[in-house]
Amino acid sequence: MSLGPVSRNDETAAFFDGTARGELLLRTCPSGHWSEPEAACCTTCGVTDLSWSASKGTGRVVSWSAVHGRPRDDGSADRRVIAVVELDEGPWWWTALQDVEQPSEGLRVQVAFTVPAEDSETVPYFVPA
Amino acid sequence: MTPGHASPGRRPVIAGLGLTDVGKFFGRSAAQLAAEAARLAVADAGLELAEVDGLLVSAGVTRGVNLSLHRDLGLTDLALLSEMQAFGATAGAMVAHASMAITSGTAKAVLCVFGDDPLKEGRSASAAYGPRRTPSGWRGLLTSAGISGANPLYALAARRHMQRFGTTTEQLGHIAVAQRKWAAMNPAAQMKDPITLADHEASRWVAEPFRLLDCCLVSNGGAAVLVTSAERAEDLRQPAVPVLGWGQSHPGHLQRHHDDFGLVTGAVRSGRAAMGMAGITVQDVDVVELYDCYTYTVLVSLEDYGFCGKGEGGAFAASGALGPGGTLRLNTGGGQLSGFYLWGMTPLHEAVLQARGQAGERQSPEHEVVLVSGNGGVLDHHATLVLGGAA
Ligand SMILES: [Zn+2]
Repeated sequence: MSLGPVSRNDETAAFFDGTARGELLLRTCPSGHWSEPEAACCTTCGVTDLSWSASKGTGRVVSWSAVHGRPRDDGSADRRVIAVVELDEGPWWWTALQDVEQPSEGLRVQVAFTVPAEDSETVPYFVPA
Repeated sequence: MTPGHASPGRRPVIAGLGLTDVGKFFGRSAAQLAAEAARLAVADAGLELAEVDGLLVSAGVTRGVNLSLHRDLGLTDLALLSEMQAFGATAGAMVAHASMAITSGTAKAVLCVFGDDPLKEGRSASAAYGPRRTPSGWRGLLTSAGISGANPLYALAARRHMQRFGTTTEQLGHIAVAQRKWAAMNPAAQMKDPITLADHEASRWVAEPFRLLDCCLVSNGGAAVLVTSAERAEDLRQPAVPVLGWGQSHPGHLQRHHDDFGLVTGAVRSGRAAMGMAGITVQDVDVVELYDCYTYTVLVSLEDYGFCGKGEGGAFAASGALGPGGTLRLNTGGGQLSGFYLWGMTPLHEAVLQARGQAGERQSPEHEVVLVSGNGGVLDHHATLVLGGAA
């Protein structure tokens, strides 16, 4: 199951500039703490002067689910695997997980990128490493 | 009266309860349902609307209720008026706020009102809680991945509990089955037909590990309670239900690295605060009305409030402790899974009925202490109330 399109806004412009370059950007503070890209202040020390820094894009599955669409008339339904990934830098990332049907906790994964539709930003997702 | 201390007459009580039709019906807006519930609560108390001097308003997913509710009720010169929002914890937070207003003398009679109309004619129930516009920004990224609405987010929390403690889908099924049995005795419940563990197992996947019967209903409706002082309630129509304790907890880890995610929730702190204020322990609780947006929410809340040990919620649910005839009277109206879904008003409404001794066929013989929980966001906001048996 493919990913859906997404557009940018002011908060996500820098992040999507990163995904277009093939980078998963996180926030870092002057003390070197990593925060998730949405963070408005450092989740460790609270400072607000955050920079964008590229993650290695590797991590492990913390939890996963498979989201099922409404069944069609023939009984079939879409099934999309999603996961919480703990990036090796520390932050957690809620994401689509592909190329694995029944992941397990701790599964090593790495980021991949796709442009789901012509007018969409580049979207990160994860696959087994 | 000692300065700085509330007079004994200012002990907060719930003196009125209002509930509109609930479920799948059309033609009344959230604001109209809220106003109707408010009027029902005032009439139930035997009070004149003009005596209400405080109004707290809570809108549901359609955001259809706001401050203008005071105009729809014809209320003027209010001493307290506010919209409140802590998602599923709002009902408990409103009663706590109203109780503090009563205790301090800020207001004398405070209505706490909720109304919602997510079900629209010709639109599926899931659409009400799903995405509504072209996905953009951080939320759009989630939607792009297939993560929209609460189902997948709670499923990720539940999976973590299963991974860590060995909790099973069958154990979750026991909660669904037990609550359906209670719902069969609740005239207001939307789903009264009995279900079995096999029915639970056969219901379609929504977001693994959740099947359809792990998920709450979607309902239109309005609900309200009237909070006043014990003194004022003495000559009112209904037995007054004392608000003995309240507490909140807002852990603040929304979608970020949080080692307790899915395992331990803010109900621990919220419950400790409320039970501490009431001067009770979990052993003193006769009736429990837990926020049950999912079967899993019940399970983890049972652990966090201390009704069983951490990680033992699954075994506890499967032990036969729940349901009519069980050892713990839990979600006695069928809850949000089988009764109706009016956010935190669902457990609160049933708690007031039980505390008054007015729950009919499903009434708990002991109802001196009733614990009510609210949970909002994705385990991000918690509110707990301890209610006493009605005098
Ligand atoms: Zn820092």
